[in-house]
Amino acid sequence: MYFFLQIATSGIATGAIYGLIAVGYSLTFMTTRVLNFALGMWVMLGGMLTYSLLVLHGIHPLIVLPMVITALFLLGLAAERFTVLPFLRAGSDVWVMSTLAVGLLMIDLAEIVWGRSPTPVPPVLGKEPIYLGQVSILPQQLIIIAAACIAFLALDLFYRRTLTGKAFRAVAYSGEVSGLMGINTRRLQAVSYAAAAALAGFAGFLVVPLTLAEPQLGTVLGLKAFAIAIIAGLAAPRGILVCGLGYGALEALISGYFYTGIRDILGFLLMILGLFLKPEGLFGRGVEERA
Amino acid sequence: MTGIRYGLGLAAGAAAALGTLIPAGAQEPIKIGFAGALTGPAAFVGVEIKRGTEIAIDEINAKGGIKGRKLVLISRDDEHNPVKTVAQYRELVEREKVVAMVGATNSASMLAVAPIVNDALKVPVICPATDATAITENDAHKQGLDNYIFRVGMYGTGQANFMVDTMVKKFGHTKIGLLTWTGGWGVTGRGELQRRLKENGLAPVADETFDNNDTDMTPQIIKLKNAGAQSILNYALVRENTFVVQTKEKLRNDMPYVSAWGIAGPAFWRAAGAAAEGVLTSTTVTIDGPQPPERTAFINEYKRRHNQDMDAAVFGVGAYDAVYLFKTVMERDGTEPQKIRAGLEDIPEFKGLVKHFKRPVFARDRHNAVTEEDMVMTRWTNGKMLEIRYDDKGPYVEIDAQTKKYLDKSNLKLL
Repeated sequence: MYFFLQIATSGIATGAIYGLIAVGYSLTFMTTRVLNFALGMWVMLGGMLTYSLLVLHGIHPLIVLPMVITALFLLGLAAERFTVLPFLRAGSDVWVMSTLAVGLLMIDLAEIVWGRSPTPVPPVLGKEPIYLGQVSILPQQLIIIAAACIAFLALDLFYRRTLTGKAFRAVAYSGEVSGLMGINTRRLQAVSYAAAAALAGFAGFLVVPLTLAEPQLGTVLGLKAFAIAIIAGLAAPRGILVCGLGYGALEALISGYFYTGIRDILGFLLMILGLFLKPEGLFGRGVEERA
Repeated sequence: MTGIRYGLGLAAGAAAALGTLIPAGAQEPIKIGFAGALTGPAAFVGVEIKRGTEIAIDEINAKGGIKGRKLVLISRDDEHNPVKTVAQYRELVEREKVVAMVGATNSASMLAVAPIVNDALKVPVICPATDATAITENDAHKQGLDNYIFRVGMYGTGQANFMVDTMVKKFGHTKIGLLTWTGGWGVTGRGELQRRLKENGLAPVADETFDNNDTDMTPQIIKLKNAGAQSILNYALVRENTFVVQTKEKLRNDMPYVSAWGIAGPAFWRAAGAAAEGVLTSTTVTIDGPQPPERTAFINEYKRRHNQDMDAAVFGVGAYDAVYLFKTVMERDGTEPQKIRAGLEDIPEFKGLVKHFKRPVFARDRHNAVTEEDMVMTRWTNGKMLEIRYDDKGPYVEIDAQTKKYLDKSNLKLL
């Protein structure tokens, strides 16, 4: 039993990271059908900024957090304005490339600014593991699970209870009609892109004590998170959390009961199978394609 | 054609200019080449090789060079890209007329360069880094032809043998678990470790792997523990090793953990901190702990020049020795590349920084200077990689010149 619980717990902790990043894909997809394919690199940028402010400048983590989120939000606004909007206006799909290009640029810049050797970032609550019965978990892992749940809950309330949230969903359903109804779709598109970037920054702030600060920290995480967003359904933020936690646990259990080498094969096979059975994602409700 | 004529004109002009600069009687310098990563991810390896080479060359030149001729280093940045390494080796040998090379930073580069060097360029190469076995045990070696590639660093099969044999023979462990990276280096290492265990009549009690996105190794560590592993052997670099020791710390797991030389440098302690305490790392040389005076001199000179500590001492120290090995032969046999190659196979004794070789450094059928018998197992102890030595009472490390600490063979803790 210990074997199962310990492995599942550490898997869920990893899954919470996936979920937190994955919801960023959904944020932009909901409004503009645009995906920031380089979201993992934005996570990295958040992590590296955290490293800079926290370790190199000795700023308190509670001040670092809003700084990182604000910086990434503003950068997200700028990136949307200059690397996505021009292509959307021209009716082109080149934004796929340009979001990736921005990500690669970030990695190169990070290597120049911070170097490439992995550097530790001290976890906010220390390294001493917490014991739940026999099962041990790092305080930082607990924080991530909690933060992911809170972030999703907040997002859910935002979508369901606030006017702006409802406007987001309206734009997701049909940008043109929403515009006719007086919703400033242009602003919502920009804000959703920036919000996804800010969320990635938040994720970076949380994961960097576990992953070490280095320019490649977000690349694989971003890919895994993308897979999860697809499995859950890009238009189903709540499902993304469940899928993230579940996928993380599944991965760890496959490693534990079978073999790490087949983990990704099994995981992605399940994803393809899931999509085959339910193309709109496990939690998707099949939003109709816009004309 | 214009290009060639222009080039010739330039060369003639340069020669004329040099002629006026070099005082009568002075001879042309002897050129030594290096092509490796000086920028990008692997730059720390290339930079150490270059700096180690420079220190040796400056020392030799200060004492009058080789029979009055100065040594110069001509280095190229191959950005860790084998295609560029091959082109730069050609350029250095054919145009710059270097008579010897100090390897590269990428095993793939050396594997690509080796046949060209042996078949066409015919210039002796001593590698301080690049540990793939086939670099020195290449086609020329197998066919008994003249092999131009030598090595003062680690080599793959030797390191795996050394890691397994240390744990089995010196620490008496029979239940060995493997934990290797699914990336290129880890896959090769895993195969080598399995082979050596088999040669010892053993099989791994658990054979776990991890890939680039494993930041938490809980399943692997628990499986190794449940399989009853007495020690874990690992092939990976700083990042992954940090995740392993972090997970071990979280699980309060004190299984002995042994890594190949991917973490042989202060970068590992910087990343992992105190969680790295007690980790064993195999290497060719460590500059921590009590040192012989000639190594101390080198360490101090490095610090004086660059105002920092060495990040990957093995490469700098190896490169320094490579230059002195070339010097030893050139003073005796001249500077013809073929003669240097043959001479390297005939150095009966050599007092290097890597070690004092009291037997021929190389032989016709052995181009690895550092053999399994010469490799060093170190223990990470309070930020230092201390060499493990053995006496009747068992394995120990020297904290300083006075303090000797024995190791508990079952958990590698200091007694």
